[in-house]
Amino acid sequence: MTPVLRTEGLTKRYGRRPALTDATLTIPAGRIVGLVGPNGAGKSTLLNLIAGTLVPTAGTIEVLGSRPAANAEQLAKVGFVAQDTPVYAGLSVDDHLRMGARLNPGWDVTLARQRVAQVGLDPAQKAGRLSGGQRAQLALTLAAAKRPRLLLFDEPVASLDPLARRAFLQSLMEFVAELEVSVILSSHLLADLERVCDHLAVLADSRVQLIGDVEDLLAVHKRLVGARGELDALPPGIEIIQADHTARQSTLVVHDTTGLLAQLMPGADVERLDLEDMVLAYLTRAAYIAAGAPNRSYAEQPLEAQR
Amino acid sequence: MIWLTWRQFRGQAVIALGALAALTIFLVILGLRIRGTYDANVVDCATTCSLANARDALEASYLTPLLLTGFLVVLVPALLGAFWGAPLVAREIETGTHRLVWNQSITRTRWLAVKLALVTLAGVAVAGAFSLLLTWAASPYDKLLSGRFEPLFFPTRNIVPLGYAAFAVVAGIVIGLVLRRTIPAMAITLAVFAALQILVPTLIRPYLQAPVTQTVAFTADTRVSEFSSGGPNSTGISINGYDNTVPGSWMLSSRVPLMNAAGEQVTRDTVADCLKGDMRRDMACISQLDLHFTVKYQPADRYWTFQWLELGAYLLLGGVLAAFAFWRVRRSLS
Repeated sequence: MTPVLRTEGLTKRYGRRPALTDATLTIPAGRIVGLVGPNGAGKSTLLNLIAGTLVPTAGTIEVLGSRPAANAEQLAKVGFVAQDTPVYAGLSVDDHLRMGARLNPGWDVTLARQRVAQVGLDPAQKAGRLSGGQRAQLALTLAAAKRPRLLLFDEPVASLDPLARRAFLQSLMEFVAELEVSVILSSHLLADLERVCDHLAVLADSRVQLIGDVEDLLAVHKRLVGARGELDALPPGIEIIQADHTARQSTLVVHDTTGLLAQLMPGADVERLDLEDMVLAYLTRAAYIAAGAPNRSYAEQPLEAQR
Repeated sequence: MIWLTWRQFRGQAVIALGALAALTIFLVILGLRIRGTYDANVVDCATTCSLANARDALEASYLTPLLLTGFLVVLVPALLGAFWGAPLVAREIETGTHRLVWNQSITRTRWLAVKLALVTLAGVAVAGAFSLLLTWAASPYDKLLSGRFEPLFFPTRNIVPLGYAAFAVVAGIVIGLVLRRTIPAMAITLAVFAALQILVPTLIRPYLQAPVTQTVAFTADTRVSEFSSGGPNSTGISINGYDNTVPGSWMLSSRVPLMNAAGEQVTRDTVADCLKGDMRRDMACISQLDLHFTVKYQPADRYWTFQWLELGAYLLLGGVLAAFAFWRVRRSLS
């Protein structure tokens, strides 16, 4: 099956400022991918490159096997709910559905009507008068009823209150199960994504820091706790992501490619990481590098600011 | 896409149609009144009336309304460019809805093509209807006073306003696309249009074809509004306001020296004896002196050539801008 996304050296710069640097990644079909990272990390840029609203400065990108937004067929395959879920303020909910029907050959009338009724939107209501949550639901309906193979969401819940946030993610999940689409959604809050995603990409400082299936990632990332000094030399194949030292004890977050961490480090405690700690370790490292750390070796450079 | 364009545009279209309806009523009434005056002074009188009287009557009553309506004919394309053209893409980018519509199953090229074509055609239709109505209303006046080639009338009649409208709307769209903000795009569209309306008649239109230079005799029929000497130290006589010397033409020269048969500029002393204060008798007197002057103009029979050339130039300019817009919209524009 064609991967939904394959990029090589994908780079986007605005003038000199890099928005996305050298992203090489492949996302297989059928995943719900969470794109997480702080504001300005390049999430929107990546999503807009996938949707084709942006053109890369360098590198290649293939979405479902073709260039993004290359033609009407390609556009029909990808649904994009852009940041702040834009809708036409002067058009009614019904007008939006009519627009969807006229501009998309694969439009699913039944699905659109059902969705609108289900989330309680008044078809005669002008979209400008909808609440943030209702607007997001309308945008989601528009993107889903075109029956794409890939759905993109750029910070879909960022402007919603917790209740609307939960409702939106809930209906997103229902959709995905029903439509069998691949999904990429971004958020600066891991908590939004944790519940819905089975695949994760961490972006920070315009670079992809980490990508993979959530379970695989959790299987190879561990926390090592040992006496101070005991963890200074690690065997090859074990990369330190984050190091934290107190006077007597060292705590490391490591990426273990050997699968033999417990045997290789008999003197240390090997603990399971949760998703949030793992992501935070990568974000912290990225922030540390961005702040001008001399190299990528952390064993000798204790990090001070830890959350 | 046609449906969406119409759905977004219909409010503006209704306003424009309302304004056009009001103008139509006004212009029909104006046209009928001009015809009434024309008939009374030219057609229905057997012996008592002269063309000169008819001219005076028409000019006295209708010069001001026709000038003002003419300004409006030029203003309409400017307003269409600012209010229809500039927001067309800029507002979408401002409100982010371009990211909604660009992710429907329709390419940006097609999206822009439909919007640009429909709104530009609507603009051309509105400006064209207005221009043709004024052309009709003013036709007896233009026939008698033969000033339609003059810069104040030329842009307000026949087909050039269609070119202005097409250009203004496309320019508004492109400026909006580049600036991505509605209000500045509207302002700049108006400024660009106004600049062209000043530059074209002063710097370009007079030279679309090489002007004709002609030496004409000063006769008793010559109408001159001004005799002047160059200053206190100069005694050479110049004249101005001889526009009707070549009827229907567009006079490009303004103040020209009055020459005698020997080809020298006449002096104040030469004509002083003739200037007694009675215009007609003075002219007759001066015409006895065998004087002449040289004028530069665009002849009346070039009127339609100039209309087509200017229409073509504006359409070409609009076409170039539209091509740029299609190139631009395919590029990054998140």
